[in-house]
Amino acid sequence: MAKLELLQSLSGHKGIVWNVSWHPLGKIFASCGEDKIIKLWGKEGESWSTKTVLVDGHQRTIREVSWSPCGNFIASASFDGTTAVWDKKSGQFECNATLEGHENEVKSVAWSPSGQLLATCGRDKSVWVWEVAGEDEYVCEAVLNVHNQDVKKVAWHPSSDILASASYDNTVKMYKEDQSDNDWTCVATLQSHESTVWSLTFDKSGKRLATCSDDRTVKIWQEFGPDNQEGVNLEDRESIWKCVCTLSGYHTRCIYDITWCTSTGLIATACGDDIIRVFKETDDSDPNAPTFDLIHTKLNAHSQDVNCVKWNPSGNQELVSCSDNGEVKIWKFTEQ
Amino acid sequence: MASRFSGALQLTDLDDFITPSQECIKPVKIEKKQSKTGAKIKIGDDGYFDLSSGKEQKLQKVEITLADCLACSGCITSAESVLVTRQSQEELLRVFSERKYTDTKGVTREVSLVVISLSPQPTLSLAARYKIEPEDATRKLVGYFKSLGADLVLDMTVAEDMSVLEAQQEFLQRYRDQQNDPSEKHLPMLASSCPGWVCYAEKTHGNFILPYISSTKSPQQIMGSMVKQHLSSKRELSPGGVYHVTFMPCYDKKLEASREDFYSDILSCHDVDCVITAIELEQMLANSSKCLSEIEGCDLDWPWGDAEKTGIRSHVGSGSGGYADQIFLYAAEQFFGETKAPVIYKNLRNPDFREVTLEMDGKEVLRFAIANGFRNIQNLVQKLKRGKSPYHYVEVMACPSGCLNGGAQIRPINGESGRDLVAQLQAMYTQLPLSHPSQNKLVKQLYNDWLDGKESDKAKAVLHTSYHALEKNDIALNIKW
Repeated sequence: MAKLELLQSLSGHKGIVWNVSWHPLGKIFASCGEDKIIKLWGKEGESWSTKTVLVDGHQRTIREVSWSPCGNFIASASFDGTTAVWDKKSGQFECNATLEGHENEVKSVAWSPSGQLLATCGRDKSVWVWEVAGEDEYVCEAVLNVHNQDVKKVAWHPSSDILASASYDNTVKMYKEDQSDNDWTCVATLQSHESTVWSLTFDKSGKRLATCSDDRTVKIWQEFGPDNQEGVNLEDRESIWKCVCTLSGYHTRCIYDITWCTSTGLIATACGDDIIRVFKETDDSDPNAPTFDLIHTKLNAHSQDVNCVKWNPSGNQELVSCSDNGEVKIWKFTEQ
Repeated sequence: MASRFSGALQLTDLDDFITPSQECIKPVKIEKKQSKTGAKIKIGDDGYFDLSSGKEQKLQKVEITLADCLACSGCITSAESVLVTRQSQEELLRVFSERKYTDTKGVTREVSLVVISLSPQPTLSLAARYKIEPEDATRKLVGYFKSLGADLVLDMTVAEDMSVLEAQQEFLQRYRDQQNDPSEKHLPMLASSCPGWVCYAEKTHGNFILPYISSTKSPQQIMGSMVKQHLSSKRELSPGGVYHVTFMPCYDKKLEASREDFYSDILSCHDVDCVITAIELEQMLANSSKCLSEIEGCDLDWPWGDAEKTGIRSHVGSGSGGYADQIFLYAAEQFFGETKAPVIYKNLRNPDFREVTLEMDGKEVLRFAIANGFRNIQNLVQKLKRGKSPYHYVEVMACPSGCLNGGAQIRPINGESGRDLVAQLQAMYTQLPLSHPSQNKLVKQLYNDWLDGKESDKAKAVLHTSYHALEKNDIALNIKW
């Protein structure tokens, strides 16, 4: 039997904890929320504790934190309309750059795998791409206005500069840069969810994407690139993403977050029914029509909505989650 | 808010436009009647009906006008999704057939003269669409408008020239003021002819950025003043009876025309009553199953006396009116005696942000830039905010590639790429006969006869405008997590 064992419950935030982000090595993570602070948590012996608290970066709720791939920067997206970039050149994390431009609430921020690009999105329906242009210098590379509603989440492809965004307009969009004129354009629209798409996560290869929605389903999408073996016809040489699996009937409320483990391939979800669920691809799964089993259901993982779940990038099967009730929890997953 | 506009508004692969970005927050006054129970409302095909009184009573539709949008800070809009009731092709056709219109103050007026002013960018857009020469397209447009009932169809070269000349003078003044009083916000001077940019600046950066924006009116509004003040007095007509339509490359020009600043209390009318764009003209032709190339051509009108006639012209520099180049050349000559300054642009991070410098004795003395598209507006504003702008002048346009790629230019057809189409329009633009504003005889004549001379108080009042910051109301009612 698979189990999700609670290692530690961490309190310290006041009010809703919206998001958590692992340092790329998985020994530290950051959390943020309604109390406008970012907490960095580290492990001493067997127990986790607050190492640093970053304050005074934002005027309103911090909706998401994202650790850069090199581990030297943290970006935070806030309802005050700004995105802050924190670095530790001075030895401690300090905010040395603020990205302004969104008209109002910024909902999500993500670093590209190279660490050279940042993406943000928000209530103003736009997705922005920023490039690191020098020390503390970030320039706007693109403002993408293709969603027609609030954009909830941005995520980068794990190995190339392809960006995906999820929106209240029920779709996911993908973007990439046209090298001929440095212009970013929307290259794919993923349409199948029947309500807000809250979050999305690529698998290790970047060939698959998992999305979760207010329609209580998880969908798995697969890329069919140029010269694909399956004979999927591409009109203009751009990859097509097709929904190859829908996990429905498992979640009883809105699914707020989803995380795909790069080492085990397990998918975990954060749901408004206070439950964390873990899914595993079946052994006899058809690559073009994959099947997944629900292998664990952690009832009452939190006493209120689970807002975010993240697998530890080190692959040690640790999972961190956070909730409306102010708690952050560290879990260990085992499959026997 | 759906309008009949929206069908034509599908932007293709150029998504760098300023788009509406927030729910409309306009408060709406509702006339409430006492009733015993809650209201019962039926949704019909043709509206909402109140059933509480026992019989169906049609509920009034909430209408939001351009003036509401301009006075509100709730959203940034390029007018594309706003109900532009006074600015539509239907309205234009109605005015043509009824020869009367209702202005923004609700006054209905008889129309004694319908004047159409053509700008070059949408004319080129139609020429490309119907595969005819620009000059031919101009003649056929004149013929088409005349067939609908227009009395005069004019080119706007004179207004474009005056806008450039005024901007050149303004730059000289600002440059000198900067030398004398560097603590004030004189430079960089930022172009003012793009209403999308001006509207965005007013709504989101307010008093921080507005002092930098050139006070010179755009060609559309200078043309408006010419038609309503000068032409109507020449013809001894009431300005309110002259219905003035401009033909423009973007919807944002409708917003500009509707500004209170461009409503004259003395004449009690707007300078421009209706703005019609390339996309709408294409629709009008399609709706009446006409093809521009088959329409009988006609010469542009020239109600300006014996000054040398112009026509659709290009200007040195960009297809957005060439402000950066012409002000750069003028400043190089006036300040540094350089009559043949090379204007060689260097692309910055993308081709829509480029700069040009003038060096004297190895020292940089002028640095100008062209910033097109929303991303580059962002980067420019951020540079200014951090005190890191090295520029004396920036030609700012909200659309990528500037006005030739305006938001209401005809979209590519038959799989043609947006970029190729813009390149084609650019090539067509450079082949148009070139206008030299300082040599335009009509401009000289107008300064003398109409404006009491160059730099007179009247010229300042007629050819310049002002901007207003809009305070942001943060309302938490519609927060979504």
